[in-house]
Amino acid sequence: MSRLLLAVVTAQPPSYYLQQLVNGIFSGSIYALFAVGYTLVFGVLDILNLAHSAVFTLGAVIAFVLLTHFGLPFWLAALLAIVICGAIGYGLDLVAFRPLRHRGAPHISSLITSIAIALIFVSITENTFGANSKRFPPGVAPSGELHIGAIGIDRLELFILALTLFLMVVLGYVIRSTRPGSAIRAVAENPRAAFLMGINVDRTIAFTLMISSALGGLAGILYGLSQHDVSPYIGRDQVELKGLAVIVVGGMGSITGAVVAGYLLGLVEVLVLVTLGTNVRSGVAFALLFLALVLLPAGLFGERAARRT
Amino acid sequence: MLKVRRVSWIGPLAMLLVACGGSSTSGGTSSNYSGKTINLGAVVSLSGGGGVYGPQQKNGIELAVETINKNGINGAKISVDVQDDRSDKQQSAQVVQTFIQTGKVFGIIGPTLSNSAVAAHPVAQNQRTPIVAASTTGKHIVGDCPYPGGCTYIFRDSLGEATAIPDNVKAAVTKSHPKSAVLFFANDDKFSSDGADIFKQALADNGITIPDGGVLQFSKTESDFKSYVTTARSKNVDLWAISSLGGIPAKIMIEARNQGYTGPFLGGNGLNTYQVSQQAGQQGKGAQSGSAYFVGFNDPTNKSFVDAYKAKYKDDNGNPQLPDQIAAQAYTAVLIYAEAARNANLGFTDIAKDRDSLRSALEKVNIASPLGQFRFTSQHDVHQKVWINAFDGKGGFVNLSSFESN
Repeated sequence: MSRLLLAVVTAQPPSYYLQQLVNGIFSGSIYALFAVGYTLVFGVLDILNLAHSAVFTLGAVIAFVLLTHFGLPFWLAALLAIVICGAIGYGLDLVAFRPLRHRGAPHISSLITSIAIALIFVSITENTFGANSKRFPPGVAPSGELHIGAIGIDRLELFILALTLFLMVVLGYVIRSTRPGSAIRAVAENPRAAFLMGINVDRTIAFTLMISSALGGLAGILYGLSQHDVSPYIGRDQVELKGLAVIVVGGMGSITGAVVAGYLLGLVEVLVLVTLGTNVRSGVAFALLFLALVLLPAGLFGERAARRT
Repeated sequence: MLKVRRVSWIGPLAMLLVACGGSSTSGGTSSNYSGKTINLGAVVSLSGGGGVYGPQQKNGIELAVETINKNGINGAKISVDVQDDRSDKQQSAQVVQTFIQTGKVFGIIGPTLSNSAVAAHPVAQNQRTPIVAASTTGKHIVGDCPYPGGCTYIFRDSLGEATAIPDNVKAAVTKSHPKSAVLFFANDDKFSSDGADIFKQALADNGITIPDGGVLQFSKTESDFKSYVTTARSKNVDLWAISSLGGIPAKIMIEARNQGYTGPFLGGNGLNTYQVSQQAGQQGKGAQSGSAYFVGFNDPTNKSFVDAYKAKYKDDNGNPQLPDQIAAQAYTAVLIYAEAARNANLGFTDIAKDRDSLRSALEKVNIASPLGQFRFTSQHDVHQKVWINAFDGKGGFVNLSSFESN
């Protein structure tokens, strides 16, 4: 094994491995950003909101349309798209989750509802935006590469990396140290007890979905920018399953876990590509998911899951 | 003198007739179909991964129907029911099955993707219904297809990768004499993996070597190509070949230019649509592919097709839209059916018999089309010119050269 690694590592100059390391970190940023919103809802509702990937898509598509068809400046188009995605998240709770919750429906019902909503969103996008893959016009966001020796670092991806870490810190602070955060934690712990303590449970859940969806929309925009790809399928095809693997590995409901696992997945994918070749890279997310389930059933940071059990 | 003058009028007049009517050289007797409708079905990918191509096919089909119905087919109208298979092979087979079971469809066009064709075509073959593949370019689609009932009812008017890729490689060799290459391909898609096999062979045939680790395979749902591009860059080769569908080739090209690769790109039929050229933008400039079509083809049938297409379809900004290869092939598929129907002596009472007659007539079709003079080979494959086109960096194409196929 050590011989294989030695052979692999000496086959290329060091700058190649450093560049791949940078690539892995940047890939991980997208997974992490997507997974933060995904896991936030799971932490509160105990359901997987599979419509999150469709909201991710909508973020990119709405920003693209506002920019290219309505001529808005990029920052305004992006801001409006994030706000619209937040509103969609709020509406999601009103239409898809709250009625089921009030009827005491099992969690699987909400899961199915979220799949239905995702399909509806994708279908609407296909019929209005078209099925084609498009790209944001060049120059709307920071572009170009910084060079450190032979290593190229994309400015936009550096921004995404910083934003992801910033959001992780801010969300962590909001959840731990603010009144709405306390309400979210209380509802996540026990909705009935939270209600008896005077917390408006419905409003807290809707607020959580709103924040989660706004983050999903932001992730979609940044994905569209960095990957030069805006289409109805970017959420479903590109990140949904990997995002699921990330939140399981990170610990369902853990924001820090989602971020760490996102970067871990990005790095492991690159490591596999460099050592074992390109043909096995696709299976890595799910091998990681499998290993996590076997070795760490609660994930890397799965305190809440562990506490509940 | 008088004799010479007469001859000078006959040539342009004949060309005009060809342009206006799509002349028949198959010489069948024309039956009277007054008041009848020749129903066709088309299964295309308007959504899903093939959604990059399906909408142009639908446009081409609808324009052809409009054009043909101006004069009719021996008094009959033609109608095409276009259905979306969502780029899913099971859905594709189901749509074909439904078309056939209605008992009204004489023939079928499609599906869009080779991946779907392997599920949909055997259904048509088993039920003895002609099907013309208008964009499936993978291997074993016609002639040597592996279906139990053979492929006697399966035709294609789309240029196979087995022809387009070797011609494209040959053109690249003539232009820049590359000695080494890397190859990117999606390993979970028939079109892409067939294209990769053909690329490997064509590169080897032209003395171009692929270094160890130079075949880079990925899933068609892969989102991030940075690591692949970094690996490809480390190989220091003369050209990059890409066999994949949809937006993937564009993403690879953009990332490659961002990482400093300045050499040429070669692609397959997946590049032959404006959407991919637009997505690749300036970074895709020069990416070349073998194509069945060039929009600037100086031919009267093509010119009238392009004018009609531009008049009927507008892009997102309201500007006239140009037809691409996919649209031209779909348009041609309807022209082919119309010409076959004209000579098939359809009875309109026994659909099974009419489908057989149509199948026989398809084999003899020889028409002027936007793709050039078109006829099928004995294997039901295309016999036409191959264009080597390249992205112009502004969302369009330029023609580099052309080859006569077969």
